[in-house]
Parts: sequence; C-alpha cells; structure tokens
Amino acid sequence: MPDATLVAQGLLNGVLFGGVYSLMAVGLTLIFGVMRVVNFAHGDMMVWGMYLAWLGATRLGVDPYASFLGCAALLFALGLVTQRALVGQILDAPHEMQILLMLGVALILENAALLAFGPDPVRVRSPWSAATLWLGPVFVDVARLVTFAVALALTLLLYLFLKRTDLGRSMRAAADNRYGALVIGTDVRRVYAVAFGIGAACVGAAGALVSPIVPFSPSGGLSASVASFNIVIIGGMGNLPGAFVGGLLVSLAESLGAVFLAPSLKELVSFSLLVVILLFRPAGLFGKSPS
Amino acid sequence: MLDGSPHNHAPRSIRVPRRRFLATAGTAVGVVVLGFPLRLRAQAPTFKIGVIHPVTGPLAEPGQACRLGAQMAAEAINAAGGIKAMGGAKLELILGDTQTKPDVGRTEAERVINQGAQMLMGSFDSGSTAAMVPVAQQRRVPFIVDIAAADPITANVAKAVKDGQQKVQYVYRNFPTGSTFGRKAVQYFGEIFKEANVAPKRVVLMYCNDLFGQNSAKGFQAAHAAAKPGWEIVEVIPWPEPPQDLSTEVSRAKAAKPDIIAPIPRPASAQLLLPEIRKQRIEMMGVVSPGGPGLYESGQLAVLKQDLEYVMASVPWANFKNPRTVKVGEEFQKRSGGKTFDTNSGYSYDGMTLIGDVLERAKSADPDAIVAAIKATNWNGGLMQYAGPVVFNEIGDNGNAIPTMIQVLGQKPVAVWPKDAALQKLVFPRPKV
Repeated sequence: MPDATLVAQGLLNGVLFGGVYSLMAVGLTLIFGVMRVVNFAHGDMMVWGMYLAWLGATRLGVDPYASFLGCAALLFALGLVTQRALVGQILDAPHEMQILLMLGVALILENAALLAFGPDPVRVRSPWSAATLWLGPVFVDVARLVTFAVALALTLLLYLFLKRTDLGRSMRAAADNRYGALVIGTDVRRVYAVAFGIGAACVGAAGALVSPIVPFSPSGGLSASVASFNIVIIGGMGNLPGAFVGGLLVSLAESLGAVFLAPSLKELVSFSLLVVILLFRPAGLFGKSPS
Repeated sequence: MLDGSPHNHAPRSIRVPRRRFLATAGTAVGVVVLGFPLRLRAQAPTFKIGVIHPVTGPLAEPGQACRLGAQMAAEAINAAGGIKAMGGAKLELILGDTQTKPDVGRTEAERVINQGAQMLMGSFDSGSTAAMVPVAQQRRVPFIVDIAAADPITANVAKAVKDGQQKVQYVYRNFPTGSTFGRKAVQYFGEIFKEANVAPKRVVLMYCNDLFGQNSAKGFQAAHAAAKPGWEIVEVIPWPEPPQDLSTEVSRAKAAKPDIIAPIPRPASAQLLLPEIRKQRIEMMGVVSPGGPGLYESGQLAVLKQDLEYVMASVPWANFKNPRTVKVGEEFQKRSGGKTFDTNSGYSYDGMTLIGDVLERAKSADPDAIVAAIKATNWNGGLMQYAGPVVFNEIGDNGNAIPTMIQVLGQKPVAVWPKDAALQKLVFPRPKV
C-alpha cells in the first residue's frame, strides 16, 4: 500500500494534468458536436500550437502563458480555412470520406512541422515551468496549476458563449438540425466555419499552454488525438462539460493507476475506464442516448 | 532476385570483363555515353547496401544521426577507392526509414532488397530491427545490426540455426546487447561508488516500457542479482513510451527514498523525467543511467540544460583518444548542424566501415562468402570505445562492444569511466544545489 503522501501527490498530479487533457478535448468535442465531423488532425493542430508557442518563446521572447492567445488566433484562422476549403466541401459525403480527408490534413500538418522544425523533441522553457509550491510534503507544479485554471476558464467562457450569444445559439441550432437552422435563416456555412475555427483555437491554446510542461515533436499529434478521442467519448461526444470532466477523470485514472499499479499500466487504466463507461453509458457520461 | 540466389546478388559489371561488355553493348552504350558521360562513369561497379533507420517519428533525432554516420563512412570508403577486392566497387546506399514503427522496418527491408540491396544495415530501434531479421534470413541478405540492444535479435536466429531450423545465420550485431549493458552498468556502478568513496544503498530503476527498455531493465536486474552488490534495487518503475506525464512516476520514485535514480529513457521521456526530478526536489546522490538515449545528445542538452548536468549514463561511446575519431567527429558536427558524434552516429559509422572490411575479405557479393567473412572478422578500425577487436561470437554478437560511463560536465558529455577511457574525472555524488 503506497503511503498517504504519494496518494495525495498522485491525486493532485492527476487533477492538475487533467486540465491539459480537458483543454485538448474541448475543441474536439465542439467540432464534433456542431458539425458531426471527427477531426483526426486535432492532435497535429495541437502540435502546431506548441510550435507556435515555441517560436514565440525562442524568436520573440514571449512567454507561452502570454502567447497562447496569439497561438489560438492563428489556429482559429487555420481552422477557418480548413473548414471553408476542405471540410465544408464534404459535409454530405459518407463518414469515411471525412476520416480520409482529416487524416490527410493530419499528415500534411505533421510533415510540414517536420520540415519546418526538424525531428528533435523540444520543450519551451518558461520561468513558470520551474516554479513549485509546497503544501507540506506535497508539491504543486505552478505551470500545471496555471494551465488548469486557464482550461477551466476557457471551458466556462465557451459554455457561456454557446448559451448566451447569438452566434452560440446559431451553433447549437445548426448542431441540433442543420436544415432546420437553414430554414430559419441561419448562415450555416459561417456558423460551421466559426465552430471549426473555435475548436482549432482551443486546441491551439492547449498546445501553447502545455508546451512548457510536455516535450513535443512533430510526431506527437497522433497520440494527442487518441488521448482526446478517449476523453471525448468518455464525456459524451459533442458535450462540453463532458469533455472537461472526461479530461479530469482520465488524468486521475492514469495518475492513480501509476500510484497503485505499475505505471506502465496507466494507459490500460484509462482505456479500461473507457470500456466500462461505454458498457454502462454507451453515449458517454454526459451524452444523451439516441433513443 | 526473388529467389535470392547469389548470382542475382552479384553486380554484373564486376563479373563481366570490361572488354566483352564493351564488345557486346558497345554501340548502344556509345550513344548513351555521348549523352551522359559522367553518369555512366558514376555507375561503375557498385555494391548496394540497404541502410534503414528511424528517420521520422519519435526516434528521428538519433535515426537521422545514424543515417548521416553511415553515409559519411560510405563516402570515406568510396573516396579511398571503394572496395579494392571487388574491382574498386563503390558502396551505394539505399536509404530506408522505419518511421519508428516495427512493421515499417519490415516493409522497408523488403523494399530495399527488392531495389537490389545486397546487404542490410540498421536500425537503431530494437523493435524494428527484430522485425527486419526474418526478412534478412528469408531473402539471404547479410544484415549488420549497427545499433539495437535487445538480446533476442541475434539470439533467436543463432538458436534456430543451432536447432537446424535454419541453415545459415545472416544477422550479426556490432553493438552491446541488453545483458552486456546490464552487466557493465552494475560493474561500473560498483567501481564508481568505490572511486567516489561512497556507499549508496537504494537504487530506483525507471524505464520506458518498450522492447529496448524492457530488455535493458531485465539485463540490469539480472546482472544485479548475479553480482549481489552492496546496493539494492528498491523500486522498479516502468512507464509507457512516449509518456504524456511522468509526475506521478517520479513521486513514486521519491517515495522509495532513493540514493540513486537509474533511468532507461528515450529522448522524449528524458525531457519529462529530469525536470520532474528537479521539481520534486529528490535528495539523492545522483542520476546514473544503465544506458539509454536522451541523456547526452546536443538536442537534449539544448532543451534540458542544467537538468542534465552531472547526469551519468553507461552508453556506447566514441573513443576520442583516437585522432581519427576526433577528425570524423568534427566533420560530423559540421554536417549535422552542430551535433555531437556519439553513440548513434558513431556505431552507424563503425557499422559501415566494418562492412567495408568484410567486403574486402569476402572478395565477392555472394551472401555466403560475406557471411564467412563476417564470421572471420577480427577488426580494429572502429572509432568507438571497444574492449578489443570486433569479433563475432557464436550468437553473432561482438562481445567487445561495451558501454562507457559518460557524464555531462559543463554541459558537455565526456567519458569518465573506466579509467583508461576517461577524459575527465567524474563528479559523484553530484554537488548539492
């Protein structure tokens, strides 16, 4: 039985890293929720967010905790263009076409990063990333605390945006019933493009915010995508609070798995969680079952 | 080609006398020569070698260093007149990329052989190397493993040959095996503790849970059990590779109250592990790795900076007391954009130079003649730190391929142990911050 300090540390690490996972998943779930497109390039967009933060830090000397808004803006533009130029063309095509298209985008993004930045894993150094707080024997990683707080704030903002603004309501309308929304005069094309842009902006911000915490290289996109899919499915596809809670749950499961079992089994723990939740709640924790 | 018969492996221009060749093909060639005189000259006798490394994917950094090392060695051989025993045949490399995926290693081996590769060299990562082995055996293409530590890579083939399931072993390795790493690491640990006049008791072993990591960890634990030194492995912590987060793993290591953390990482995981060790303020004598990439490369140093200072690792290392190593190292640094000539580039360089030596003695492109020459190898021309000449044992491994203990001092990795290889005095236990 591990000692109490280790368990407490594991819980804390799990919750704080959960912020990272949540932010990754929020963008993915938004895109899926609004236009039913699974963004397989999600992880690679995150990698680009990381590299943009890295460029900002190494070339311009801007801390990632300041530049994440800029990274989000650039990724918003990338998302908007991707939606308009590519995804928008195949919304009515069978699902496998969308998957192929997004995988293609993922390949292009990954290899563009490889060409631009080379293969070596890098990490952004921020004065924050070395800072720690100590609560007795348990330590708090300040970088993760900040990331967690920003993730929470972004999710809340996004939630309010969807509930309270006209554009947000149009998005929910288009998500509920695309043709219905068209009939009542919603500019669905615009709504979709903005939704994809916001989804990409979220993951861009996530990338920038985790760049001082996690080392990254151009090949990291796939594992980030898979982790995000896992979280989104656990939370309920298309559900914003679900993605946030799912991120926390997966991270906690992995962290406690590393405390109580062999750490190499921690991914097994998070995917087992997925299987268990799918067994008892096939639509995910917060998802509404189709019936 | 498909049956892999020796005749198909032989480059035609070596076997057919020049005059007869010109007499039969003279007219046609003459026309071509007018158009492409230089190109024809460049196509003089060649020997094709498939050189496969993880040039993209998570292991791309070391993989690219391996590729450049192999290319530089082949260029050096060609510049010195090629393989003299084969009519000055030039080495032509057919490059392959495993993308750090074992299955791709296999298909790349198939591809380069289909494109005419008469030998294989590769592939850094134990997983993909193991996947290439059956291809080399089936297609009868001699395969020099330049880097890959997992024991079964050669041991399985040697066993199959011994049991009569296969006739000839085509796979040979000039790199320390996982069990050599383990044995040497346990030996160096003891010697270093003695040299530093300290007696650490508690070692925490942490490793990446892939084929390389598992094999190396097993080798280290087995060697520890056999040597029964005065220190204990009090906790073993594997992590999935590549990890997103190692904070809980490090908390667990801290809870075991280690005197030493002994990690077997990969570049990406080392970038998570070492800052985490610093942040969690583990009071200990130091980080001493039984072997693994990620603890000495210039890219890693650029990212990890002070977190790598005083870190020791028992890794295969270049012998910088050899002036040729220094010269090649300088050229490598120039061509790689400032990278150190290290384990990866160095063993690939040696692998290719070794192939040159083998071919000089084989005097033929016949796979079995090459295997005979490999078995008879007794070669001293390497740039790495060896315990003796390159000689292949009954398993197909070079028992003289050994690691050296290096330490990052002043942000530069240098050999510190064994004493005769040391360029600087080791600093252990690490100074308190």
